[in-house]
Amino acid sequence: MMETKIFVVKTQVGQEENVANMFEKAAKRIDNKIVAVLAPKELRGYIFVEGYDIDVIKKLIRHMKYAKDVLEKDVKIEEIEHFLFPPSAVANIEEGMIVELVSGPFKGEKAKVTRIDDAKEEITVELLDSMVPIPITVRGEQVRVLKKKEDE
Amino acid sequence: MRACRRCHILTDKTTCPYCGEPTSEHWQGYLVVVKPEESIIAEKMKIKMPGKYALKVR
Ligand SMILES: [Zn+2]
Repeated sequence: MMETKIFVVKTQVGQEENVANMFEKAAKRIDNKIVAVLAPKELRGYIFVEGYDIDVIKKLIRHMKYAKDVLEKDVKIEEIEHFLFPPSAVANIEEGMIVELVSGPFKGEKAKVTRIDDAKEEITVELLDSMVPIPITVRGEQVRVLKKKEDE
Repeated sequence: MRACRRCHILTDKTTCPYCGEPTSEHWQGYLVVVKPEESIIAEKMKIKMPGKYALKVR
């Protein structure tokens, strides 16, 4: 069997999933010359289309409102593999670390990590500037690590 | 849309129609598999069934 290639398609920002769905529909129409479409969260304005022929993709995107272009050079699976297995949002966070809340009602506040929930990718923190330490649970994406441990 | 915690397939059901696991509304990354038997991406993800999948579910 012929090997597939992975092509990079530029899309309008925010329309990545939409364009991926259009490729899926088109794939069925053109006898599955597209085998998979990947839209990682970390990439804005780009998706990966796995198929056989760049000319097929070029032809398809001419009729897609939100697809803009396809890059001439394809990418290897090794180059995009990290997108397939996104790291946990709490991967770099440990108990005792000092973090800054970057979103939500306590945005800008500094806090100490007291508990980590790996399954939910949530952490529980106590605000540093609060008289009474009230535990607050937030998503891992909502904090930025400032210091490894309080006394380091 | 919700995603199955085990197989990552996207569904609007609260239980996965394929493996019976509970689904979650917290997911990210989007993958459409058309021909799993020909796709290197599907092979890496160990996906054997065409469909729409989340890359990460929590
Ligand atoms: Zn499932």
